[in-house]
Amino acid sequence: MTTNPPTRRRVAIITACTVAGLVVAAVGGLAIGPTIGTWHVVGAALAHLGLGHSTLTPLQWTIVWQLRAPRMVLGLLAGAMLAVAGATYQGVFRNPLADPYLLGVAAGAGLGATFAIVNVGQSLTTPTWTPLLAFVGAMGAVTVTWLIGGRRLRSSTATLILAGVAVSSLLTSAQTFLQQQSTGSIARVYIWLLGSLASASWSSVWLVLPYVAVCVAICVVAGRALDVMSVGEDESRSLGVPVRRVRFVVIAASSLGTAAIVSAVGLIGFVGIIVPHIVRLLVGTSYRRILPISVLFGAGFLVLADTIARTVLAPSELPLGVVTALVGAPVFVVILSLRRPVAV
Amino acid sequence: MSQVVVHELSVRIGKKELVSSISLEIAAGTWCTIIGPNGAGKTTLVEAVAGLRAPSHGSVTIGRKSVSSMSERERARTVSLVPQHPVVPEGMTVYDYVALGRTAYHGLFRPPSAHDRSVIDGVLERLSLGEFRDRDGATLSGGERQRMVLARAFAQSTMVIVLDEPITGLDMRHQMELLELLKTEVADCGLTVVATLHDLTLAGQFADRLVLLDHGNVAIDGPASDVVRSDELVASYGMHLRVVDVDGSDVVVPVRK
Repeated sequence: MTTNPPTRRRVAIITACTVAGLVVAAVGGLAIGPTIGTWHVVGAALAHLGLGHSTLTPLQWTIVWQLRAPRMVLGLLAGAMLAVAGATYQGVFRNPLADPYLLGVAAGAGLGATFAIVNVGQSLTTPTWTPLLAFVGAMGAVTVTWLIGGRRLRSSTATLILAGVAVSSLLTSAQTFLQQQSTGSIARVYIWLLGSLASASWSSVWLVLPYVAVCVAICVVAGRALDVMSVGEDESRSLGVPVRRVRFVVIAASSLGTAAIVSAVGLIGFVGIIVPHIVRLLVGTSYRRILPISVLFGAGFLVLADTIARTVLAPSELPLGVVTALVGAPVFVVILSLRRPVAV
Repeated sequence: MSQVVVHELSVRIGKKELVSSISLEIAAGTWCTIIGPNGAGKTTLVEAVAGLRAPSHGSVTIGRKSVSSMSERERARTVSLVPQHPVVPEGMTVYDYVALGRTAYHGLFRPPSAHDRSVIDGVLERLSLGEFRDRDGATLSGGERQRMVLARAFAQSTMVIVLDEPITGLDMRHQMELLELLKTEVADCGLTVVATLHDLTLAGQFADRLVLLDHGNVAIDGPASDVVRSDELVASYGMHLRVVDVDGSDVVVPVRK
């Protein structure tokens, strides 16, 4: 099944709507919450611009600036990175089921984080080991996957995917074993696995920002190469694309950015696979459009999901991974029913 | 002067040697068609000429430069490829698909230049694809789609074009149209064509020279009229063939035993 390629006007309208949605989600992320009224925060922001006067107390201002703002910004970064990494993986593997966790990032990070969580208070002394070991685990897993399935000159993307499946299975088994050996930590491991922005701080934002900025930029710039590579490896080589080099760079960028995000917020599912598909249904199959719009859409989508996660059952929070699926799946189904699907 | 020189080329995949010590010289502005039964090594040979298969021994040289030593970009400006089963991504317009042929000129980080766009427009015009430029390429008929693939190869502005079974799946009219288009480019632009074809009649009618491959070796190489009448051709296909002269053209007809 096919659709007509979208017109420039349509793409411009969708881009404008996505930007508007992102702004609304970001403002909502700052303004909506159980402790401070939305309009108080909006009023304070306007007062900051010289319009009217702020009614926020210093404590409320601290809540907005030190709790909600870094959480919102980290949500933007996580959503942008996971969505663009998913789109990039789908392009480079020419596989609609590819997501940022395909090559073992999630399993490696899960093992690293579980190791840190079960050992906190024993051999490891602080919870700051969790993001560090999650990052090391994620990058270690992708490196092993690449060494097994992507190093040789004639390695196909299928070999790399299969290597990712093998490495993921092995590391997930190891993580499950560790978890089972330390039943007292199961709840904390489980919460980490479901992902959360609750521990966001400005320091975590500054920590992941350089990774996300560089990796998102590399992925977006790769859009033209991924468009050429959509005709397959041999054809794109005959058209002048150094396929192996491009594949290495975009996989490295996607994996590094995803590892940085996962180390900060845990495993947030759904964004990396569904956002690129939603964007593809809206703007067509060209990665020159899919990648930048996925950045905007993913960022807004994750902040929206997080706002829902922390408000609907306030003061307790829903797991973010659950909300991304609960919000994303109906949106995807609606768009899918309105438009006929297009290929990756 | 020879445009394409294949020197003692062998290509091995795993333990199997698909092409064994083949040497050919193809002059600039000529059409050379590789024929032979399935598994003879035709596709391997033309893919090696296009730089997609690395020789295990020997070399392929185009314009005095070894294809293996070229970067992907340099190679794409030297030799273009029409594959046997081209991938046409759904949702990609005919214009964007043909524009892929200019990638080696504008690179992966810049859009096509004004010159690139004029080349693309010219190719679309020449191949009567102008009316389809904004259509999804995947929705074209077989003949239109194959013309689009040819247009992408022409947009590469190379002096050598490699075609692997370019008329597979086309009806007789579209087969003739496509080959005539190619013949015009050979005559007008001095294009050098290296093609594989299963249809011996069309191979003989369009090529200046036929090379018969059998089990990875050259069985016979020469003018089409000689090759289609050769004993080697009969032996290679293992069947009776008759060559009938129809209005001055050779028609190869299989005959039941």
